[in-house]
Amino acid sequence: MRFKILASVATAMLILAFAAPASAAEVAQGKCLAFEAGKSVSIDEYDTSISKENKYGKTTGKKLTFDISEALVGITPAPGDILRIAYDQKGDQLKALRVMNVTKQDLMTK
Amino acid sequence: MEFWYMYMPIAGVDIFWPGLVLIGFSVGVIGGFFGMGGAWMVTPGLNILGFPMAFAIGSDIAHIAGKSMVSTFRHSKFGNVDYKLGLIMIIGTVIGIECGAQIVMWLERIGRVGPVVRWVYVVVLALIALMVFADYRKAMKKKKAGVVDEHGAVGFTWYKTLHSIKIPPMMHFKVAGIYCSMWLPIFVSFLTGVLAGFLGIGGGLLRMPALVYLVGCPTHIAVGTDLFEVMISGLYGTFTYGVKGRIEIWAVFVMLCGAAIGAQIGTVATKYAKGYGIRIAFGLAVFACMISVILKQFKIDAAATVVILGAVGAICVYICGIMFKGAAEELRAKKGNERLTA
Amino acid sequence: MRRIMTLLVIFITAVAVFIPDLAVAAGGKAEMLIVVADKRMVEWSVSRWWVDLYNRDPFMFGLWCTIFTGLLGVTLGFITDQIMKMTGLDLTSRKIVEH
Repeated sequence: MRFKILASVATAMLILAFAAPASAAEVAQGKCLAFEAGKSVSIDEYDTSISKENKYGKTTGKKLTFDISEALVGITPAPGDILRIAYDQKGDQLKALRVMNVTKQDLMTK
Repeated sequence: MEFWYMYMPIAGVDIFWPGLVLIGFSVGVIGGFFGMGGAWMVTPGLNILGFPMAFAIGSDIAHIAGKSMVSTFRHSKFGNVDYKLGLIMIIGTVIGIECGAQIVMWLERIGRVGPVVRWVYVVVLALIALMVFADYRKAMKKKKAGVVDEHGAVGFTWYKTLHSIKIPPMMHFKVAGIYCSMWLPIFVSFLTGVLAGFLGIGGGLLRMPALVYLVGCPTHIAVGTDLFEVMISGLYGTFTYGVKGRIEIWAVFVMLCGAAIGAQIGTVATKYAKGYGIRIAFGLAVFACMISVILKQFKIDAAATVVILGAVGAICVYICGIMFKGAAEELRAKKGNERLTA
Repeated sequence: MRRIMTLLVIFITAVAVFIPDLAVAAGGKAEMLIVVADKRMVEWSVSRWWVDLYNRDPFMFGLWCTIFTGLLGVTLGFITDQIMKMTGLDLTSRKIVEH
């Protein structure tokens, strides 16, 4: 009886888990250039060459603008903050899913 | 140097992985040996190794879920469980865990989660150490007076008073043999749930005595029901901390593998352990853990790491020593017997 | 038991000491914290899938966390059990330690 309950709960969870395959979301990090609440955010993209001098990587010189109308935005970004953004690319448009304020959100100090 | 560090993609930190293995292994050994979880050292341990506090709590609770599954499926039963009581208590446990987790997330938002959880841990660890030492003292006194092995709850009948509070709906729990208001077990499980969700522990430490003294369960039923609740609280805790994005699954896996091996050694070692010396060692380990939490609070990170890993490592070596010595003797004796019969 | 009660009282007092401190802190800013896992730093495909799941769907992430830990627990329980059987130690006569 107990085994049956456990088995059916496990099956239900597995079905639910496989029901929604996660498609890939890209991640970009860089310095915030401009931020408009509920609309858009643009960053100067950084690469992944992290060193002691460049804690967040070096600039690639590429400017990216994200649509944040449906995104979850953490601590409000200000120009100059380092942001990490998970996004979907739909054609030319970059649709942000989550925006993390790396500079102001150091969890180790929380 | 790089070899010794593992990148945790979600928390975004590099972690000294042998430390993770040692913590997992120690929790297994100590949990297996003393029959109570060693989760109290995981949250501080993870935090000291470099995880943000909320991640430490989430990963600890996930590791408890895994470990409770290990023991449940190994014994293929919980023992004596009053399932009706267990199911009623799920309500309180789940709501409690969620409250605990919400408090943690709120503290994280206002930027206080580290210090607050650390100080609460200091208090809890001090209580555990005190209880262990007091227990030891009592046992020693009894030994001197010549009283042999007394077990269980004697003389405390608070639950009788609590049973007389008749707030409907009243319920009869047949296996445990109690008749009380439904709200009593829910209230008890809610309180333990909050503590479990807040500290990332199983909650057995509080739930066991509460079941015996406040709800009035016989001890053996309390043990089984508690195991059942630990599993539920672990699984729900994992889910809710997962949804909140505060679980680092790779760390959980590393710790679980260590814990699974450690638990076997600890369990086998109980067979060969004699005397009370080991309890003193246990109390000292808890105390050392408390010291390291305080060191961490004052940002003396290196010392904190050394103290906690050293203390749990030492007690592990001690228990492993008991186990290997005993096991070797048993196997030797077995072989000797076989030779005799052959 | 009186000892446990005393300890409980100490515990509650200690917690109560924090409350004024917290109330002051609560007055400050409390913005939502969003964590984005840095996928660029991860190479292994399984790890990338996991990080993707984290960034995209918290609910599914929680569900998978629960499933994985549960499954790993069961598997490890089974494996270690087999190993212990192989060592030939008698585990049935073990005294149960209750706390």
